[in-house]
Formats: sequence, C-alpha cells, structure tokens
Amino acid sequence: MRAHSARELAGAYVYLLPVLAFVLVFILAPVLGAFRASLFQDVTFLPRKFIGLDNYLRLAETPVFWTSLRFTCLFVLISVPLEIVLGLLVALVLDQPLPFRAALRASVLIPWAVPAAVSGRIWELIYDYNLGLANALLGWLHLGQGPVNWLGSGWGAFFSLVLADAWKTTPFVALILLAGLAAVPDELHRQGEVDGASFVQRFFRLTLPLLRPILVVALLFRTIDALRVFDLIFVLTGGGPGGATTSLSLYGANFFLAGDFGFGSAVSVVLFLLALGLALVYVRAGRFREGLG
Amino acid sequence: MREEALKRALVWLGAAGTLLFCLGPIVYMVLIALAQSPDFPGPGRGFEPTLKHLAAVALRPSLHFWDYLGNSLIVSAASAGLCLLVAAPAAFALSRLDLPGRLVILFAILAVSMFPPVSLVSLLFKMMTALGWINTYPALVLPYVAWVLPLSLWILASYFGQIPRDLDRAALIDGCSSWQILRRVIVPLAGPGLFSTGLLAFIFAFNEFLLALMLTTDHQARTIPVGAALFQGLHGQTPWGEIMAFACLAVLPAIGLTVAFQRRVIHGLTRGAVRG
Amino acid sequence: MFRRRFILIALIALVLLSGCGRSGEKVLTLAVGGAPKEIEVWEAALARFEAETGIRVSLIRQPTDTAQRRQGLVVPLQAGQADPDVFLMDVAWLAQFAASDWLAPLDEFMAQGGLDRSVFFERVLALADVLQDRLVALPMNLDGGLLYYRADLLEKFGLPAPPRTWAELVRQALLVQEKLRPERPGFYGFVWPGAQYEGLICVFLEFAASNQAARLIEGGRVRLNTPANLAALSLMRDLIGKFKVSPPNTYSAMKEEEVRLQFQRGDALFERNWPYAWGLHQAPDSPVRGRVGLARLPHFQGGRSASTLGGWHLGLSRFSESQPEAWRLIEFLVSAGTQKRFALELGWTPGRRDVYTDPEVLDRLPHFRELKDVFENLRPRPIVPYWSQVSTVLQRRLNAALGGGCSPEEALRLAEAEAGAVVERYAGR
Repeated sequence: MRAHSARELAGAYVYLLPVLAFVLVFILAPVLGAFRASLFQDVTFLPRKFIGLDNYLRLAETPVFWTSLRFTCLFVLISVPLEIVLGLLVALVLDQPLPFRAALRASVLIPWAVPAAVSGRIWELIYDYNLGLANALLGWLHLGQGPVNWLGSGWGAFFSLVLADAWKTTPFVALILLAGLAAVPDELHRQGEVDGASFVQRFFRLTLPLLRPILVVALLFRTIDALRVFDLIFVLTGGGPGGATTSLSLYGANFFLAGDFGFGSAVSVVLFLLALGLALVYVRAGRFREGLG
Repeated sequence: MREEALKRALVWLGAAGTLLFCLGPIVYMVLIALAQSPDFPGPGRGFEPTLKHLAAVALRPSLHFWDYLGNSLIVSAASAGLCLLVAAPAAFALSRLDLPGRLVILFAILAVSMFPPVSLVSLLFKMMTALGWINTYPALVLPYVAWVLPLSLWILASYFGQIPRDLDRAALIDGCSSWQILRRVIVPLAGPGLFSTGLLAFIFAFNEFLLALMLTTDHQARTIPVGAALFQGLHGQTPWGEIMAFACLAVLPAIGLTVAFQRRVIHGLTRGAVRG
Repeated sequence: MFRRRFILIALIALVLLSGCGRSGEKVLTLAVGGAPKEIEVWEAALARFEAETGIRVSLIRQPTDTAQRRQGLVVPLQAGQADPDVFLMDVAWLAQFAASDWLAPLDEFMAQGGLDRSVFFERVLALADVLQDRLVALPMNLDGGLLYYRADLLEKFGLPAPPRTWAELVRQALLVQEKLRPERPGFYGFVWPGAQYEGLICVFLEFAASNQAARLIEGGRVRLNTPANLAALSLMRDLIGKFKVSPPNTYSAMKEEEVRLQFQRGDALFERNWPYAWGLHQAPDSPVRGRVGLARLPHFQGGRSASTLGGWHLGLSRFSESQPEAWRLIEFLVSAGTQKRFALELGWTPGRRDVYTDPEVLDRLPHFRELKDVFENLRPRPIVPYWSQVSTVLQRRLNAALGGGCSPEEALRLAEAEAGAVVERYAGR
C-alpha cells in the first residue's frame, strides 16, 4: 500500500503522533532537561542559579566520579562478554533435542522475569557473611579457610555483582541467540557432518559466522543495559564498600536523593553521552543493519 | 561414536548446570521464606518449616505488601494497555504504509530506548511535582508507557510485517480506509502478537525500579521492586525470613505470567531482536 | 472490538484520574524509624493520642538506616507533599531540612501551648533545633555513644572496672578474647559500627575528640589531617587488623543493629552503641540480660571521654495541611508522660530533662543518672546544611582506611581535600 498523495502521507504520519508525543514529552524532554539542569546550582538549601559548566568542572575534580566511571566501564567490559558466552552456552544446550525442553526454557526465563531489586535481596542473603548460602557452601565443600567477606572487599563485591547480574540477564541473551541458532538451516549441519567436520569445527566455522549479526544485537543491548546498571547495585551493595561498586547511575541518583539536582543531572548527562557514544560505535562498526534487515 | 557420546554427556551436564544456576537462587529464596531461622544451611542447624514469615508479610497491613502489589499490577497493566493503544497504529503505519524515513524513525525510537533512566529523573521529578502527581499512578504510568514503547513498537512492527499484504489490498478494494484496515484486518490477525507485546510491556513496567524509587514516596503508589528494596520487616534487624517471604510473593505474578505464556514471551523477545 | 478499546481507554482514564485528588478524612501521617519493638510502642502511643484528641494518625515505617530515612523524606519534601505531616529527623541532617525551608516554625505553637524551652536540654536545642533564631524542631530522643560491657565477664576474669583508656580496652579485650575463643570461636572483644555510613563518623569523632582533636569544620574550613585524628583513625584500623579485637566485617557490615546483635548473642565483651540497645539487652529473651553494664567511652591518654550527639527530632512539614493538629501530635510526643513511656519501654533517652529525675524511671533505669551528665556535654557533628555531603566523603575515605584499602594518612589527607571541595561548593556563594 503506497501512500501517494500528500494527504494520505499526512494521514499516515498521524498514526505516529501518539508515539512521538510520548517519546518527546517523557523521554526526549527529560534528557534535554537534564542537560539544562546540569548548568545550574540546584540544591535544596541554596538559591538556584546559573553556573554554566561549573558542575562539570567540579565533577572532574571529584575522585569518586572517576571511581564510578572506572567501575561502570569495568563492569561493562567484564560482565557483558561473560553473559554473552554463558548465554551462548545455554542457547546451545537449549537448541538440542532434549526431553523437558519446554520446562528447561521456562526455568531459564524465570531469572529474567524476576525484578532486579528482588533478585538483589536474594543475592544479598546468598553473599551474607554470617548467614549466606555462599559461605555455607564453602563450609560444606571445605573450600578455603573459613567464611569469605564477599561484599566486603572491592573486588569481592565487584565479582559478586557480576555473578548476580549474569544470573539475571543471561536468559535474555540465551533466548536471542537461540533464535539465531534456530535460524541456521539443518542442511548446513548435515553437510558439515558429511564432510567429516567435528562438532567443534562445525560450530566455529559454520554456526558462529551465521550468528554474528545476532551476537552484535545481543552485545549492543547488553552493553547499554550494563552501562546503566542501578537496581542490583542499589540493593546488593549500596555502592560500597567504600564506594567501590558505585555505578554512574547510582552516583547520580544519590545526588537526587540528597536534594542536589544540578550535580546529579551533570552525572546523568555524562552517562547519557557515554551510552550515546557506545550506541553510535556499535551502529557504525557492527553492521547493525545486517542483524535487523 | 565417542564424539556423539561426549556431546550427549556435555549437553546433559549443560542442561543440569543451567537448571541449577537458574533455579537455585529461587529455590533458596523459597526455602528461606519457609525456614524458622535463615542460617539453616550452616553447621549445626536444621531446617524447620514455618509459615510465619509468609503470614507476617501477607497479613500485617503495616508491611503494605498488598498495597505494593496492587500498585504494581495496576500501573503495569495501565502502562501495557496504553502502550498497545499507542503503538499499534504506529506499528501499522511503519510496517505497511511505506512511509519515507520509516527506518530512520524506527531506529531513532530504538535509540531513545537506550537512554539511561537516571537522565530522565531530574525533569520528570520537577514535572510531576509541578503537576502534583508525585506518589500517584499517572507519575509512573505515563513515563512507563514512553519507556516500553520503543521495544513494543519494534515487536509489533515485526508481527504486523508478517501479515500478508494481499489482505490489505483486498480490503482496499472493498473500500476500507487505512484505519479500518488496521481495525478490521490487522488487529484481529495480530492478536497473538499484540498479546506478546502487551505481556512484555507489562513485565518491563512491573520490574522498573529507578523511576518508581524517585517518583513515589509511600505505599500509596510504591511498586513491588521499591517495596522489596526497602523492606525492613517488622523489627528492623535484617529479617531474612520475611524479606524472602516478601520476595516469594512478589515474584509470583512475574513468574506465573512468564511460565504460563513462555512461548509468547520468547516469541516477542526474539522478534524484538531478530527480524523476520 | 471498538467496545473493548473503549473499555480499555476508560480503565486507563480511571487509573490516571484516581491518582489525583486523594483527599478524604483528615489523617495525620507520622514517619518514624523502626528498630525492634519500636513500632509497637509507637502504635500504642498513637492510640492514646487518638483517644485523647480524636485525631487519627497513620504511621509510616521507614527503614532503619539513617541515609535511607533521609532519602525517604527528601523526596516528598522536595515535591512539596503534604504527607508526612510530622517526621523524625536525624540531628545530623536536621540542618539541611531547616535550611531547605521544609520545617514549619514552632515558636508560636509553643507559646500558645505554654511549652517552655527550658524543659529540654538547652544546649541541644540551641545547637540543633534553632535556625536563624526560629525553633524548627524538638528532640524526641537524644543519643550519645556509650560503652556497653559484660559485667559478668569482667568479674569472671578479674578485671575490676571497665576501661578508662583505649589502651586499657584493648588489653582487657585481648585477655578475655583469648580465654573465650576456644568455646566461642565467634567471640570478639570490641564490636562497634564501622560500616560506610553516618554511624562511622559518629564513632570516629568519639575516638578523635577523646584525643583532643579540634572541630572538623571551623570557619568554613575543614581540619581533618591532624595528628590527633590520625592517631584515632589508626587505632580504629588496628582494632580490626592488628589487635583483631574487632571482627573483620566491622568495616563492611557492622551498623548499630549488627553490633547490638553480636553483643546480645554473647559474642562480645565491649560494645559501642547508642542508648537504645540497653532496653533490648535487658529484654526477657536476651541472653545477656542482667549482665550488662554501661560506662562512658574510653579516651586517649591525656584526653577526655567524648560522646557524639545523635538522636532524632520531630519536625512539622511546612507543606502539611493540618498544622495545628500536627502540632498537637508533636506536643503529645514530647510530653513528659509519653517521653517517660518511651524511656521505660524502649530504654530511649528523652530530650526532656525532667524524665531523668523521675523516681520511677531511675528505679528501672538507674544509668539515667549518669547519662544526664553525659548528655549535657554531647559533642555535635558540624551543624551545616551540607553535612550529609561532607559526611559521605568522610565515610568513604575513613571506611577505606579501616578496610586496609588505603593508609590512614592518605585517607585523612584525601578526605580533607575532598571535604574542602564540598564545603566550597555548598557554602552558599
């Protein structure tokens, strides 16, 4: 159906108006608002006034900002590949003909369905020093020398977070990759078998290249999500110990919760630009369009 | 063949591992909710079942569980419903009306979904304060609709794209306007697609945390995720039994929906990522 | 199909509109915290209030953590919400609330009600509750850091009295710890809150002030990197890492409740905590009932015992739509009768002086006699609106030093620099 006349075209664009209105008012405007707010000193106990880029300058001078930035980037760099690999493994398992495959798929979906905040409390208990499952397991298996203070050290908390996040997000990756795997035609596999290639060879030479577009998509989604991680950290570590696990989202949000909108907005703008930059990088270098037709 | 046997073994191992990994924490949560004392895995303790944590969470009004649940269900349902109403015509237009620049629009909207929520809070808070909507449903529903729209749009556009164009042409010949085509032809046929999209929108809205934390102040409008994060139990010192009981009850809707409609959910999710 | 659409739209409209206009009966909301047993006492008090005045009060239960309580109040107050009408504020961030113009002045109410300021601890009132000559809050309870000790263990191991100096404390702790570890592997000599939160600063100030350290913020400048503070911080770190009389998770997990629970389990000899723990330690089901003593905190050689001013104050929201009724609630809560009940039932240390000389109270809580003197001399944290921001900076650095993440010298140096930047940013240019 081709909309030829200008009137028909206008009529067609009308269908888009509600969507554009919502996006404009509740997403674009707030982001612009954040840009604007970051140029002001906006603290509850001081008069509001325009200070230009002052917030950003002070941000650059604040060590905690750089710690948060470093943490956020590290979190992305470590958790995303981990989740992709895990997701791929799970997808491979789910792709096989197994009895109870539907039940397996349903169980894989469950971590995805659980709200991150709730899962955070479960993992908070798992990692608890005195009462948690992790230390109990260590005790049963007689590993290490006594209970580990999982959330007590910078790296301990970091990897605890990565694991908890992987638990929650691997299903999403697995399902996307599963769809990609399902799209690989069976004939190719059989051809490979006939040609005498082992499973591993077939995987790396056949399957993986065909999966590439999907992998890029999964990578993009996961990277952006990991960049803006908030829920899990708020509940599990609160940004500690010593601010070691404060993501940029949490750093900014803490300022809002303390009544400093100017500074918090500045942090959120930095995060936004980071996300934007990453998305652009992917879109150009990842041949994104290939994956989405 | 040895390779086959090895592969089978690995697959079974993988399946078992996956099951353990995915369900382990959930089972743990349920056990703690039912246990007299939360350190039962530790040495010298046993598992003594009790319903008192669940009873406390479900029956003490001061813990506000049902308020949180009700708020979550209403907000999520409203967001999903409104989102469908808004997204369906747009998806229709984008998928079948050959609009120039439609790919740009789709991409732009998808890009918008990648904005970090924390960047939205500042103005949204001021906006909702000015409207007097802090701690009310509209403060959450309206941003949530915008929040889930991009993904819903993509998924719906994909579903709509599947419906053969001949039907459109037939309807055109019958003298239908494009709006009537949408209503009479597309929507009935895309029923399952609409359902999947609505389901996903519901789940995403249900699980949202940051905006709910910032735009609500108490049980009148707070949602489950915020309630769970701030839950203190009756006595303040980390009452794990009650926290896990809260968690158990809190995840029932999400898990229930997901398990019941897993095919729909998976279908929708993969459509959002894979075209065609 | 059309009908379904309309129903859907109608439902959504209903939902959206139901958000607006949540008026109804006039009910006050009171936001309180929630240590154990507190809620029941609050509910009983509010029931009495309703019986006396006919005004209903809805209780909002906030998390125990002070930072979360502040967050929970900042959001509605920033949004100009009428609820909660009355709320409890930590003395640490009272200044911020007052400076943000969120508190209704109480002078007139007090004059009308015939309530005199002298009933309260004047110094506390002057320091914490008065902003620009207007009274904006009243103390619900006062807190000061105290040393709890196991009197029975001291006696058992021939230690005549609780320690006066920190060195003595370490000595006593090591002694008892060594003796008891074989049968109680989780026993530690001294438990105190060292997690990264406001409580850590209170404890640090007690160590530092007991070493004659100067005020933190004086004349718009931060003075943190001093020998006195360094000695204090080093000692705190050594308690965990070197002497090992404090548990390894002191700096990562120990807040008031965790500390109290460890002591109450019987796994500690000394405890630094607020007065509220007393009532819980003496509860019928407490393993340490009847075996606990209270003393002033130790000090460094040549210094004096110091106790940080804590406590929670009642404020009236400037946006409340029922200010007269809300004032009556405040009046009721700070009345001698109610304060006495909170003291007797929760072991709370009231903001009013007269409760400390009440014979019934002294009978049940003899330590109140001593506490009255301690409370006349509590050391406040810097009373500035931006204290929370400064505190956050300090918390991170000090906690890092405790955990061994950086040396005390470096922690203090960096903390002073960063706190200085915060002060500069917020000191109202």
